[in-house]
Formats: sequence, C-alpha cells, structure tokens
Amino acid sequence: MSEYAIKINNLTKRYSGLWSQQPVDAVKNLNLEVHRGEIFGFLGPNGAGKTTTIKVLLGIIYPTSGEAYVLGRPAGDPQNHYKISYLPENPYFYDYMTGREILHFYARLFGIPEPERSRRVDALLDRVGLSRAANQPLRTYSKGMLQRIGLAQCLINDPELLILDEPTAGLDPIAHIDIRDLILELRSQGKTLFISSHQLSDVEIVCDRVAILNKGELVRMGKLEDLLSGGHVEMIAEKVPETVLEPIRQLGGRPSLHDGRLIVEQPDDGSIDRVIDLVRAHGGHIISVKPYRRTLEDLFVETIQGGRR
Amino acid sequence: MNATLAIAGATFGEAIRKRILMVILLAALVIILISPAFEPFAGRGQRTLILSFGFGIIQLAGTFIAIIMCTGLIPTEIERRTIYTILSKPVQRWNFVVGKYLGAVSTLAFVYVMMGMVFMIVSRISLGEFDPKIAQGLIMFFFQSSLLAAVTLFFSTFVSPLVNYFLSGGVFLMGNLMSSFLETIQRNPEVTPLTRIPIQILTVILPNFANFNIQNPIINPEQVLTDEFAYLVQTVLYAIVYIVLLLVASVLVFNQREM
Repeated sequence: MSEYAIKINNLTKRYSGLWSQQPVDAVKNLNLEVHRGEIFGFLGPNGAGKTTTIKVLLGIIYPTSGEAYVLGRPAGDPQNHYKISYLPENPYFYDYMTGREILHFYARLFGIPEPERSRRVDALLDRVGLSRAANQPLRTYSKGMLQRIGLAQCLINDPELLILDEPTAGLDPIAHIDIRDLILELRSQGKTLFISSHQLSDVEIVCDRVAILNKGELVRMGKLEDLLSGGHVEMIAEKVPETVLEPIRQLGGRPSLHDGRLIVEQPDDGSIDRVIDLVRAHGGHIISVKPYRRTLEDLFVETIQGGRR
Repeated sequence: MNATLAIAGATFGEAIRKRILMVILLAALVIILISPAFEPFAGRGQRTLILSFGFGIIQLAGTFIAIIMCTGLIPTEIERRTIYTILSKPVQRWNFVVGKYLGAVSTLAFVYVMMGMVFMIVSRISLGEFDPKIAQGLIMFFFQSSLLAAVTLFFSTFVSPLVNYFLSGGVFLMGNLMSSFLETIQRNPEVTPLTRIPIQILTVILPNFANFNIQNPIINPEQVLTDEFAYLVQTVLYAIVYIVLLLVASVLVFNQREM
C-alpha cells in the first residue's frame, strides 16, 4: 500500500486557446504529496488551478504532462472510485428527490445492495443530522442542509480519501462548526481529507499541512506549525527615555517612541523578557505585552501578494 | 448496469417534472381531446380528420419533447456540477451517456402512452370503432422520436443547447424530406451526377425519419403497405441500429471531452 493518498509529479494542464487566444497553463509542473490519514489544505486565489488539479485527480480531465496517483493507482483508474469521494463547490443535487432518495441514488451508483443500502443511508442521515428532514424534497433544504447531504453522499461508500471543494463556503456559523466537527471526526477515523478552501480560518483549525497554489504553480507547502512559526510580541510602555531605543534594536526589536510612549514589535524568540527588563531599568512603565501569532491569512497574503494587504 | 439504471431513473424523474415538457404534453392532450369539434370546419371525412389530426399532434409533441429534453441532458449536468459527483463514483462515462438516453426514452414512452391512450379513446368514441393499426402508427412515431432523441443526445456531447436545437431540428427536417427529394432528383434526367451523388450520400448518412410515418395507410384503408410486417420490423430494426451507432459515437466523443 502506497504511503501517499495523493502523489503528483510534474503535473501540467494546458488548455488550448480558441482561435487566436494563447494556450493557458492552468497548472504548471505541480509536485505534491498528501500522506494517508492527514487533512491537507489546498489553497490559492481564484483561478490558481485548484479545481483543475482536483479534476485531474478524479479523472474528469486528463493531464497535458506529468503524473498523478491516487491511493497508489493512476488518477482516473476506475478502481480508485470505490475508495474516494468528491464534494464539488456549490453542488446541485436532483432537487425533486428527498434527502433519503438522493443518498439511495448515490448508493446505487456503487452497486450497494439492499438491505445494506438502507442501513447505510439511515446511518448517514443520522450522522449528518438530517434524519428528521430525510423525507423532504431537497428543494426545501437550506444551504447548510444541502452541504450536509453533500457530505453524506461523500460518505456513502465509506471512502479512504475525501476531496472537498469549499466545504464550508456560504454556511452560517452553526452549520460551519457542524461541518468542521464532522471533518475532524473523519480524520480521527483515519480518513484522508484533501480540502480546497478560501475559508482560511477553518483550514488553520483543521489542516495538518497546506499547499498554496498561485497562477498554476506551487508556491508554498508544508506543515502548518512550520509555516506559521515566526510570530511577534507587541509591547507598549510609558515614560520611556530615548536612550532605550538603540539597545532594543540590538535585541532585534522594532521600537517607535512618541512623547514618551514606546511601542516595540519584538520577535517571538524569548527576547521580550530582556526588553521588559531594559525598559524598567530606564524607569519606564509597562502598559501591555501582547503576543501576535502569525495566521494562515497572513501567510496566504504574504505568499500571494508579497505581504501587501 | 445498476449505475446506468439509477441514472436513467433520475433522468426520467427530472424530465417528467420539467414544466415546459409537461405543458407541451398537456397542450397535445387537450388538442387531441377537442379534435372532434373541428369536424364542421374541415372539408374531409370524420375519420380522416380525427386520425390525421391526432397523429399530427402526437408526432409534433413527440418531436418537440425529444429535442427540448435531450439538448440539455449533458450540458445541464456539467453546468450544475452534478456530473462531477456522479463521475467521481464508479461510473464510467458510457454508463452516464446510456443512462441519460434510457431516461429520455422512458420519458418519451410515458408521453406516448399518455397521448396514445387519449387518442385511442377519442377515436373509439368519435368513430365508433377501435383500429389496432393506430397503435402501430404510434409505436412507429415513438421509435422516430427515440431516434431523434439519440441524434440530439449525440450533438449535446459537444455543442451548446442553442446550437443543438438548430442542428437536431435541421437533421429531423432533412431526414424527413431527403428520401422524397432524392426520388424526385433520380426521376429527373437533367440532374447531373455532381448534384445527385452528394444528395445520395447525405440520404444514406442522415437518419430517414420519413420511414416511420405510416399514418397514410392507417387513415386511408384503401392504401396498403406491401408486406406490412416486414416493413415495420425493418424500420424498427433500422431505428435500433441507428440509435446504437449514435450512442457509440456519443460515448466516443464524451470520453474525450474535458469538463
């Protein structure tokens, strides 16, 4: 069994231009590995190539060059489809069907026979909290309920790998938390989740590793804890003389002083203790010390726009 | 096969809920029901009026329903992204295409049964007799619509619905007219081979929809189809073979399609 749930080698997907248009590389030389059992965040601005990559993984489109493997088999291999599931962004389900009927429909695509089919459908409706709405047509469902039914159809085959495109987009805060909890629960069951999302706060909470794609190219990839290291501590003090500025700079800090009020941005490396001692030794009075952790949003903006906000 | 039938069932369920299709069906049913009332305005006999009116309306409704339903069968699924949740399951593209077609044909069967029942009841009450050949005529029109549905589905694998309306409508018109046009040309000695040969080729390539229209011998019993049984079997087989070829072509095109 391959140690990777997904492995992509030098993947390029080029769309030929119509008439005089230039061909467009939606994905360029992408290399990516997703380990089994992890939640992997696949990030990037609109048009970065995320959905194109997902479609290649699902075998819906074909790579121009390079290779993609899913659960150890080439992407698009029919055997893969028994072990993976996909939830597209803003999916439409046949809305004349009820929640129960749509899950039966997807279960039939897997050839799951009765009574096992009914057992799984009932269990999933219960799991996503839709048992009471099971016999309502989908056209009466809210966006959150549709997203939950979408996740339920993803789980009908008890997949090893789930590929979710914007699973929490447009949801209210309660539905948001429900879906997030369900994602974490799936990881605890050993499933691999590959999540493409713009909801960076969600990704930061649930993902183990992330990759950031921009204009079809991979620009960052790694563990979240590594990528988000390097925060800073902000200290505010009063009655501070100007003579303290130079020693703070020597400790790596960025001080600014106005009318005796000092604001210091200090690297989060323990040196803040020495800055505090220094300020006190010069007769200053500490007002506040506040740690600022680097967020995924900071990293994302920094990566895509070079730090311009 | 399970997946194909599941897709066919979903397609049928969705089609019979489409307002435009049901409006066409309802309008056809109403027109068939009131057709005896037109007798005073028609210069023809009652039998001719009821039967030609009924067959005409049923063929027209079947044609419109086949084209309107099938133009969107595949493009709509792509646009709504439903296709991605289906093709990411163990469903081959041929399962999808064939399932969609079977769903469309089931809808046509439903529509023909509804219209046929009303037509036969009206003709039984108005004419005081039941002619079983009416059912034959309806079955032939059903196969005509099923063939047209296959043509439209084939085009829907690579063109937009709007273009498909014109393409399928054009093929249907030409397929109805080509054989009689060719006969006229062949009888005319002045037509050069340069004109005749392309028309002959086109007649072979395009499905012959005119063969399915057997309403004249039904309306006028003095007109007899020579070797009727063989003709009907041949025409149905022609439809089935053509449909299979079109489905194979649709699958081949759809397999290459990137969505």
